[in-house]
Amino acid sequence: MRPLDWIVLLGTIGFIVIYGIWKTRGSKDIEGYLKGDNSMKWWTIGLSIMATQASAITFLSTPGQAYEDGMRFIQFYFGLPIAMVIISVTIIPIFYRLKVYTAYEFLENRFDLKTRSLAAMLFLVQRGLAAGITIYAPAIILSTMLGWSLTITNLIIGVVVIIYTMSGGTKAVSVTQKQQMAVMMGGMIVAGFMVVSYLPDNVGFGDAVAVAGKLGKMNIVDFSWDWETSWDDRYNFWSGITGGLFLALSYFGTDQSQVARYLGGKSIGESRLGLLFNGLLKIPMQFLILFIGVMVFVFYQFNQPPVFFNEAAKNKVYATAHADELRTLETEYSSIFEQKQAAVHDLVAAIKTENEPAIAVAQTKVENYTTAGKEVREQVKTVIKTATPDAEVKDTDYVFISFVMKYLPTGLVGLLLAVIFSAAMSSTASELNALASTTVVDIYKRSVNSKGSPTHYLNASRLFTLGWGLLAILFATYASLLDNLIQAVNIIGSIFYGTILGIFLVAFYFKRIKGNAVFFAAILAELVVLYCFYFTDIAFLWFNVIGCVAVILFGFILQGLIGNKEIEKV
Amino acid sequence: MFFVNKSIIKKMKDNQPVDEELPIEKPPFFKSWKGMYWLVLGNLAFMIVLFYIITKLYE
Repeated sequence: MRPLDWIVLLGTIGFIVIYGIWKTRGSKDIEGYLKGDNSMKWWTIGLSIMATQASAITFLSTPGQAYEDGMRFIQFYFGLPIAMVIISVTIIPIFYRLKVYTAYEFLENRFDLKTRSLAAMLFLVQRGLAAGITIYAPAIILSTMLGWSLTITNLIIGVVVIIYTMSGGTKAVSVTQKQQMAVMMGGMIVAGFMVVSYLPDNVGFGDAVAVAGKLGKMNIVDFSWDWETSWDDRYNFWSGITGGLFLALSYFGTDQSQVARYLGGKSIGESRLGLLFNGLLKIPMQFLILFIGVMVFVFYQFNQPPVFFNEAAKNKVYATAHADELRTLETEYSSIFEQKQAAVHDLVAAIKTENEPAIAVAQTKVENYTTAGKEVREQVKTVIKTATPDAEVKDTDYVFISFVMKYLPTGLVGLLLAVIFSAAMSSTASELNALASTTVVDIYKRSVNSKGSPTHYLNASRLFTLGWGLLAILFATYASLLDNLIQAVNIIGSIFYGTILGIFLVAFYFKRIKGNAVFFAAILAELVVLYCFYFTDIAFLWFNVIGCVAVILFGFILQGLIGNKEIEKV
Repeated sequence: MFFVNKSIIKKMKDNQPVDEELPIEKPPFFKSWKGMYWLVLGNLAFMIVLFYIITKLYE
C-alpha cells in the first residue's frame, strides 16, 4: 500500500467514526441508547438495514463466489422482498403497538418467560458467533495481504467499532451506516468500471458478458427441479424462494440486529418504507457485486490469474522442500494459460460474428483448458497442504482482494479497503448493539436485576456492548478460515433461525399452542436441525424451513398430548 | 389474522404501556400500503423474468 492509499483508508474510516460519535453524543437514557429516540427516517432505516446485512464477507466472498460458481447465488435473495412485505404487514405494527425494545419481549407476553429467554439465548449464541466471523473476515484478509498480525488486526477493527457503538448506541450505528453504505456502493461501482476498462480493446462489454455466459457464469436463474438431487443444491430458484424466504423472515423479523434498525423509526410508516426500500434494492445490489465477480473472471481469461489467490500461503511453500514441486506446477499452469489464450480469442471472434459452430468449437477448447488449469490448481492446493498442514487451501475469498491489490491504481486500493472496513464495522456495530440490548432487556433487566435506574441500565448496555465486543474479538482471534466465510455465517444463521422463526410464527398465528408446548417443541426442533446438519447432506437453506415447520408440528403434537387445561395450570 | 393484536395487547397492558390505536400514515405515491407492497412484489417478479431471459440469452 502506498501513502495515498493509507490517507484514503484512514481518512474515510476516521471521518465516519468521528462523525458518528459527534452526531450522537450525549445519549442519556436507555430509550435513546437502544431505540435512537424513535427519530429515524425511512432512508436512514433502509440504508441501515442494508448496511447491517452487507458485511465485509459480502464484499470479499461474493465476487469470489461468482468467479467460481457464476451468478446463481443471487437466487438466495429471491425470498427477501416477500419477507419484507410480510414483516411490514404483520410484525412492525405489533412491535410498535407493544412498544418493545427487543423482538423477544413480545414472547413472554404471548407465552412465558422461559420461551422468551430460550429465543433470546438462541439469538445470543448464533449472533455472538457470527459477530466473531464478521470481525475475522476482513482481519484475515488484511493481515495476509499487508503482513499484519491477525490479533492486532482483529483488535483494531473490534476496538474502533466498540468505541462508537458504546458511545452512541443504536443511533450511532444507524448514522454511521449511511456513510458506510455510500462508501461501499461507491467503491464497488468504481471497481466494476475499472475491471471492465481493463479488458482488451477488442473486447466490449457485450462480448465480456457473452464470454461469461458461454463459460457458464451467467447462470442467474435455474427453475429446474430434480427430486433426487435438488435438495442438495444450495442455490436454485426453489430453495431461494422458500428457504430464502424463511431465512429472511427469521433474520429481519426476529434477529435483534435487524429488528433494532426499524424499531428506531419515527413511525410505523417510516419503518415499513425502510424495509420495503431494502426489498426493492437488495437484489440489484447483490447482482452488482456478483456481476463484478463475473467480470473479474472474464478479466482473468485474458490475463493470467495466480495459480493460488492467497499469495502469502503460497509463498510459505517456497521456504520448504516442496518449493520445486510448486514451481513446476506454476510453469505448467502458465503454459496451459498461454495455450488457452488462442482459444479465448477465437471464442470472442466467433461471438462477434455470431458463428455458432465456431463458438461451439472454441467454447469446448476453452472449457478443456479451464479444466486442465483447475486440475493443476488442485495439485497446487495438495502441495500447499502437504508443505504447510495448517494452511487453508480454499482461496475464493482472496479472488477479489487479490485483483484489487494487484491491478487497481493507487488511491483506489485504499478506497476498496475502506469498503471492506466499512462493511465490517457496519455489521459488527449492529450485532454488538443487538447483543447488548438483548442481554440487558431480555436477560439482565428481566431475570437478574429488575430494580435498576434508567442510568443503571444505560451503563449496563454500554458495558455489555464492551463485553460482547471483546468476546467477538476473542472468537475472531481463534476462528480458522471456514469453508467459505459468507456461507459459514449463513449456515450458522440457518441452524438457529428456523427454530426462532417457528416460535414467532406460532406466537402470531397459532393461538391454540401455549407456552410449555412451544418451548419443548423449539428444543426438539433445534435437535432435528442439528441432526440434519451433522448427519445429512441437506442444503443449509432448508434448515430454516425444517426448523420452523418442526416447531409448529411439535407444538401442535405436544399441545394435543398434554392438553390445554393441564398446560395452563403448569 | 392478528389475534395477537387483541389478546396480547390486553395481556401486556398490565406490564407496560401499550399503544392500541397507533395511527399508520399513508405511504408516498400510493393511496394505500397495498400499492407499495405490489410495487415490491412486482419488482421481484420483473427481476426474476429479466434474469431468466438473460440466463437463456447467454447460456
